[in-house]
Amino acid sequence: MPSTLLPTLQAVRLKGRTTAADVAGATGSDEASAAQALAVLAADGLLREANGKHRLTPEGKERLGQWLAEERAAVDQAALGELYEQFDPHNTTLKELAGTWQQRDGEPNDHSDAAYDGRVLDGIAGLHAAFAPFVDRLVGLAPRLAPYPARFEAALGRIRAGEHAYFLRPVIDSYHTVWFELHEELIGLLGRSRQDEALAGRAE
Amino acid sequence: MAVLALDASVEADRSVLGGKAWGIVRMLALGVPVPPAFVLTTDECARYHELGGVVPEDVLQALPAAMAALEEATGTTFGGGERPLLVSVRSGAPTSMPGMMDTVLNLGMTPQVQEALAEITGDRAFAADVARRFAEQFEHVVGTPPPADPWEQLHAAMTAVFGSWRSRRAIAYRKDRGLPEAGGTAVTVQAMVFGNLDDASGTGVLFSRDPLTGAPEPYGEYLPRGQGEDVVSGSHDPLPLTALADRAPDLHRELLELAERLERDAADVQDIEFTVQSGRLWLLQTRSAKRSATAAVRLAVLLQREGLISPAEALQRVTPGQVAALLRMQVDPAARAGARLLASGRPAAPGVVSGVIVTDVDEAEDRALDGEAVILARPTTNPDDVHAMAAVNGIVTEVGGATSHAAVVSRELDTACVVGCGLGTVTALAGRIVTLDADSGELLEGTLPTITPSEDEDPDLARMKAWAVEAGGTGHTLAELLRSCAQVP
Repeated sequence: MPSTLLPTLQAVRLKGRTTAADVAGATGSDEASAAQALAVLAADGLLREANGKHRLTPEGKERLGQWLAEERAAVDQAALGELYEQFDPHNTTLKELAGTWQQRDGEPNDHSDAAYDGRVLDGIAGLHAAFAPFVDRLVGLAPRLAPYPARFEAALGRIRAGEHAYFLRPVIDSYHTVWFELHEELIGLLGRSRQDEALAGRAE
Repeated sequence: MAVLALDASVEADRSVLGGKAWGIVRMLALGVPVPPAFVLTTDECARYHELGGVVPEDVLQALPAAMAALEEATGTTFGGGERPLLVSVRSGAPTSMPGMMDTVLNLGMTPQVQEALAEITGDRAFAADVARRFAEQFEHVVGTPPPADPWEQLHAAMTAVFGSWRSRRAIAYRKDRGLPEAGGTAVTVQAMVFGNLDDASGTGVLFSRDPLTGAPEPYGEYLPRGQGEDVVSGSHDPLPLTALADRAPDLHRELLELAERLERDAADVQDIEFTVQSGRLWLLQTRSAKRSATAAVRLAVLLQREGLISPAEALQRVTPGQVAALLRMQVDPAARAGARLLASGRPAAPGVVSGVIVTDVDEAEDRALDGEAVILARPTTNPDDVHAMAAVNGIVTEVGGATSHAAVVSRELDTACVVGCGLGTVTALAGRIVTLDADSGELLEGTLPTITPSEDEDPDLARMKAWAVEAGGTGHTLAELLRSCAQVP
């Protein structure tokens, strides 16, 4: 399996419906290479295209499962398990920040109070400072996750530039989107299920 | 003053006493029966942290005398004797905030105390129940099993309360709200009364008016033979307050009279915790009640009409967001009354939508894009579900709370969402036509008719609008008027 195919197939799965540009962003490659990888996967019947967007076929889902299992077998599970325990407090902080950003005293935050929003934005910066070394250690254990640090940095840069949608907005590569995909990767690499993690209060 | 006995003459303010002790003093001043208590003030918490996590020596020295006063008032002895004294230890920050240590009840328990309790009550099961509750709660809250010595128990609980001021959650909360980091949380130590003592005992909560509908009647729950946290935690099924009226009409009358007194004093609806011990009523706590958007509007107008608050104060009791919530499309009350409830969970993003339940994300997206009204039902949501979440009319999950992925994403998408309905509940409804009421958190059978209230037809909202105009507010809608009134100093 050429090294670009698993990251590409996984990016399509995590995004659900995706373009070559999105895949390039998620895998840290350029659009032409991403398009080439997508074409190879489509030719193998692992993807299908509709309205310019790619999605997994049932065969693609199965093949992805096999590739991820092979990858998992090569990852130091003990070290990863230990690292995952450190993820939880960061995740709690992110959830608190998301809640504070979206709601204020039980009502939607209308974002009319710049001081209030500013404190949340400071909180995001603080979270990132604490979280970035964690992501670096994770990449050390699972090299396929290497594009994540740059994706987090890109989202944070957009937030700092005043594009606050890059904190929580779905579909775009917001901080929360990247975070949630990383969490999904962690759960997958550990061979656990999201539902069990949710029931344990670690991944709702 | 390191340790302060609480009585009606205490004049220290809320920032020093903490919310709990301040409420006790207010109740005592109004002649409300409250179990005797003392407080270690918020200043002592600050000193505790200045000393690097050590309870100040003068506090430790003042404790025996403070405890002796509780013993004298109750005719009991802390840590032993024929009639043992047990106490509750509560945290009390000046404003309530998350991350503070929870309450420890029944502190002072030892094997001898359990024996004495069994002896005086003639009820071994009761004494064993109290001992079990204490050990479980102490370990859960303080983080270590309780020491054998009652004074060491007290010291450990006090330390845990003071320490919780610097918990990560508390610090984050203060930072988010711009609350000062200086100061601290007080420790309130209060003689226990036992709602689980005998058949003439029980515990309950009372709202001086209905906090959900805003109806002028008191609303409450009563749990015979229950203790404090049983009602609040939802671990037991309490009875409506009429159960107390049936069992002890005099006590019920006394309780309502006290609630009214507290409500008048605060000029606001009160949320009261009470306990009956062997036929005697005690109030443990009172505070302004949290309320629904509907209740906020109804009660603000009602309290003004009763002369408790001015129109200006009534306007301050209602937020623009609450008005918006009241004016949102809602299920026709008549249709709701006859509708079958299929599942319920926690409201995550508001709205009322009807549609077909679909559990597969690809199918949900395809059908939604074809113009069908679809409600996506998932155990939890994954990253790969987002494309479907963005296409459907409503989202409902089985596992997860208010900060779950489904909740965060649905609020961003402004799509009605209810979370945490319970495993196996909503995904089992695939193919059914339902109405999702994400304001109440309910999934109802069928397509139900909806209504959209108007602020000019609702008499309470119309009245508030008139007040806001008189107060110099500008704008067309009540929400705009309220916002402009809030700008006026």
